[in-house]
Amino acid sequence: MPVPALSCGKTGIISLVLLVTLTLGCAHLSLEQYCLSVSGLPRSVEIPSVPFYPQHDHYCGPAAMAMVLQWTGENLSPRDLVPEIFTPSRKGSLQSALIGAARRHNRLAYPLQGLEALLTELAAGHPVIVLQNLGLRWFPRWHYSVSIGYDMAKDIVILHSGEEAGRHMGRTLFVRTWRRADYWGLVVLPTGQLPASADEHSYLKAALGVEQTEQWEVAARAYSAALDRWHSSLGALMGLGNCRYRLGDLLGAEQSFRHAAKAHPDSGAAFNNLAHVLAEQGRYAEAIEMATRAVAIGGASKHLYHQTLREIQAAGEAGPD
Amino acid sequence: MRFLQSMRKPVAGLVILALALSITWVPAHAAMVSTDEILKQNQRNLDREHLHMLLDRSEVRVQLEAWGVNSEEAKARVDNLTDQEIAEIAAQLDQMPAGSSAIGTLVGAALIVFLVLLVTDILGLTDVFSFIKKGK
Repeated sequence: MPVPALSCGKTGIISLVLLVTLTLGCAHLSLEQYCLSVSGLPRSVEIPSVPFYPQHDHYCGPAAMAMVLQWTGENLSPRDLVPEIFTPSRKGSLQSALIGAARRHNRLAYPLQGLEALLTELAAGHPVIVLQNLGLRWFPRWHYSVSIGYDMAKDIVILHSGEEAGRHMGRTLFVRTWRRADYWGLVVLPTGQLPASADEHSYLKAALGVEQTEQWEVAARAYSAALDRWHSSLGALMGLGNCRYRLGDLLGAEQSFRHAAKAHPDSGAAFNNLAHVLAEQGRYAEAIEMATRAVAIGGASKHLYHQTLREIQAAGEAGPD
Repeated sequence: MRFLQSMRKPVAGLVILALALSITWVPAHAAMVSTDEILKQNQRNLDREHLHMLLDRSEVRVQLEAWGVNSEEAKARVDNLTDQEIAEIAAQLDQMPAGSSAIGTLVGAALIVFLVLLVTDILGLTDVFSFIKKGK
């Protein structure tokens, strides 16, 4: 994945002309043909509730993020976001800065890739920030837009882009400009909601991003939401347990780790963490039993399991059960 | 001075309380497994599955068989690779051109060559990738 300096200047128009005249080859399927392969998509979608901010100077990143954050109920203008997102020396905004800003505002940032995922999100009513290269591979003009819909019959994608709200862009041009940015898109949602196109692992990575900002309650909500779709997901159960533990909710953490250990009896990590929360409740006999199970299972983290067992044995001898 | 004397007990009490709280709230979670670690392990499992899937593709099977390598054998060898080796391979696969498109995964010619060399490396027939530990 390239890390482009994303300036979105007006020179984009010139390169657009270049692009249209120079690009050869065909962008294969029409949206309609394409959508037939993804079952259950409506023929046209336009999300009405996404506000529009025209882009000033090179601020397409802050403008795009302000639109989606407002849509999630966070009242911010592009100007508020400039210091968080914009890199003045590069006259642009990095993808990582967009993701970081979404997390800073307690939102889940889920990067996606490809047309199938994009259409699936739009059909679910989620706007998607898309990175486009309006120029060419060797003459890039990076640009962020917010896609808010599509129409199969007209073969278009609908974008809040630059100074134009609800711009209709032909599918061929859109796919070409998006392909040059490796089909990078970003869904921003209130935590607790799931992206429609999410797979378990990618979603959990997005939730982990929230956890790593140490917003334990927000992250716990993101993991709980994962369990609605992937009922016994090891990552979600462990993440939820770890967040509850950080919040001092030992009983809640115990419940999550127990669930994990039951659903994944080959996971040493589940037994190891369960042992910790039991020990901290002074339930040393149970804790030692669980830590012993973890050691018996072994695996890549077995040194941790041994350490757990030693610590709990020492603590159990020092204090009463 | 007398004031300080009189404060000693309550202050000591507070210090003890603070210590007790810090012991309760800064637990020894050094030996807890982080969510990050769980997801990394998950990623390694997915990488292995992905490699299996690629080795099952008919384009790849044909090439492997041309080298006299059975793809079941190849998959068995992949299972014996270390996590570190799998991570290296996954990183290389990510760099492959034509690895993906809007529609799905295409197996490009470069990818087939990569996979075949990978397997022959593992089998000790070639020595292209330094990250594969060669048998003695």
